[in-house]
Amino acid sequence: MRKLWVITIETYLRQVKSWSFVMLVVAPFLMIGLSFGVGFLSANSSQSGNKIAVVSNQSTLRDQFIKENKDDIKKSISSIKAAKTAFKDEQIAGYIVLSSDSHQVSAIFHGGRSLESNINTKLDSFLMQQQQRLNLINAKLSPAQSNTLQQQPQFKQIVQKKTGNAKIARLISFWVMVLMVYMILITYSSVTAQEIASEKGTKIMEIIFSSTSAYKYFAGKILGVLLVILTQLISYGIGGWGSYLIAQHASFTKEIVAANHALLDKVVSNLLSINLVYLFLGVILYTILAAFSGALVAKAEDASKAAQPAIYLVMIAFFATFPFQNNADALVVKIMSYVPFFSSFFMPLRIIDQSVGGWEVAASLVVLVGSICLLIQYIGGIYEGLMLQTDDSSFWKRFKRGVSYH
Amino acid sequence: MLAIQHLSKQFGTLKALSDVNFTVAQGEIMGLIGQNGSGKSTTFHSILNFLKYDGQISWNNAPITEAVFDEIGYLPEERSLMPKLTVEQQIIYLARLKNQSAKLIRPQIDGWLKKFSVKGKRTDKIKDLSKGNQQKVQLICTLIHRPKLLILDEPFSGLDPVNVDLLEQAIIEAKQQGTAIIFSSHDMGNVEALCDRLLMLKLGKVVLNGRIEDVRNQFGKDRLFVTTDWEEQRLKQLEHVVEVTRLADKKYLLKLDDPVAGRAIFHALTQGDYIEEFSQQAPSLDEIFRMKVSDQDA
Repeated sequence: MRKLWVITIETYLRQVKSWSFVMLVVAPFLMIGLSFGVGFLSANSSQSGNKIAVVSNQSTLRDQFIKENKDDIKKSISSIKAAKTAFKDEQIAGYIVLSSDSHQVSAIFHGGRSLESNINTKLDSFLMQQQQRLNLINAKLSPAQSNTLQQQPQFKQIVQKKTGNAKIARLISFWVMVLMVYMILITYSSVTAQEIASEKGTKIMEIIFSSTSAYKYFAGKILGVLLVILTQLISYGIGGWGSYLIAQHASFTKEIVAANHALLDKVVSNLLSINLVYLFLGVILYTILAAFSGALVAKAEDASKAAQPAIYLVMIAFFATFPFQNNADALVVKIMSYVPFFSSFFMPLRIIDQSVGGWEVAASLVVLVGSICLLIQYIGGIYEGLMLQTDDSSFWKRFKRGVSYH
Repeated sequence: MLAIQHLSKQFGTLKALSDVNFTVAQGEIMGLIGQNGSGKSTTFHSILNFLKYDGQISWNNAPITEAVFDEIGYLPEERSLMPKLTVEQQIIYLARLKNQSAKLIRPQIDGWLKKFSVKGKRTDKIKDLSKGNQQKVQLICTLIHRPKLLILDEPFSGLDPVNVDLLEQAIIEAKQQGTAIIFSSHDMGNVEALCDRLLMLKLGKVVLNGRIEDVRNQFGKDRLFVTTDWEEQRLKQLEHVVEVTRLADKKYLLKLDDPVAGRAIFHALTQGDYIEEFSQQAPSLDEIFRMKVSDQDA
């Protein structure tokens, strides 16, 4: 076990210390950070230019309006002179002069263009309320009459969330899932195959196999790569959660997040399900295949070619799902959801579509896990032969000789 | 003790090894010689369990399993290390695969680098070292866990004379510490200088096996080194002399078809007078090797 972990840890550390891994993990967050930063800056700069000032001979009236609209108003400007200067310097979009006597509330907006519609609406509503208050006072009505006049109509919205976004959530979940599986498999099939092929190309295998068994080496390499994938997924999970929390509170995203909260919840719950098991098992299966193809390469220079069989298979499985994104009940999807190498794409499609029973998922998982065990057993057994073949003969010759090495 | 009994290995129709038997005791060095394709590497690969074979291979009376691997130091014929690792990382990684702790190995690294005159630091990447220095680092990886059985496949190939001396010294030190050592070489000089015993393979069969002196004496003392005023042509006319080679001015090597004839030739050459040099010797390992390679019956 100790040697297995030595190989696992060495593989893991070598990968996570590489610049390519750091970039792989950091790049999406850099992109998000960049988008947030640009969004924040543009929102900030446009906001400060779009703000208006409010001046009034009645401080209570001004304070009340500012209190209700603090995001749109530059509070520090309180005199007409200061407002004129600020407008001239383009620090504000304009200014409102509020005034009131015992009968009339009035407002005059001075600006380069019309008042923005949202603040215009708010101003209308504010003036209406203030005017109504004055009118009630001047009408000298009894409390009962006053209450009657203040009676408002009622309007309620009842939205059936489930029917509203379930289909969109399924579609988003499908795309996120298959793209995630595809990207991870493409990346790590390549990483695994190259890692093993380049090691084989250095001819160090005889030294390693004089210290430990080929089976342990093979298992150690696979475990090492899986730890790297797990590290990446955890980093994405933590980073994604952090980004979500920030987006919930950032002024320029909170409205979008709040409006799509139910949809986001549904997508996350679709992803954080048995689908993750399929993702993980799929990664194991393809990693084994990649390790196998890496072992068939003769020279370190050919390491990049080593990943090709695994990558082609990933691509075939990935693109094969496309025609069925809205037709998860098709017979082909049903069959493919049991076939190893394809089930990691097709079964999640059916699970997201909610068109599969629990026993079908269980049967598919049994087939997948069984295939992984058999493949590990078989490849682990012939691995020494494959890795010690370093002559530059044809692929099939090396394969044949590797299989019958002993 | 490493004991090989009735070792045979067949690849398809090719018989790579046929009934090979030998032992290497602790503190003993055995040289494995033979032409390319004679079965030397197949013998090593069988000992290291890289191949399935017929016969028995044991180390201290137990079969060679993964647990025994920790006691073995192996230097393969093709030199190779992991180019992206530093010298320290490489040495520690391979030592940890021999069940050594990094804590134990790390403080020893500088000493080993100095001992082998490696031009480079422990923090240098392997790929940044010269080929010769990479070879030395690989030797350090083979020796640093102080193996009890050392298997070296062509350890001297590609080394300059200074580094050959360093390696010879390291092999002698390992022998003194009780390590059983088996190495293959094409240079009979190294074998003659270092080995207690030798085993020669030809087409997978043992054609020579024994202590160096015994092997040489098997062939009889059929060589005469003489320094004389006699001319080459005259020397060739002596009875039982089959070949005369001029080594230097007045110095000749005479090959005899019967070692007993040495005494008669001595009398003929000296005729009772002083002679500068007359020495009767067994053939060198190099000559024995060539003889055995060309011997159709061997």
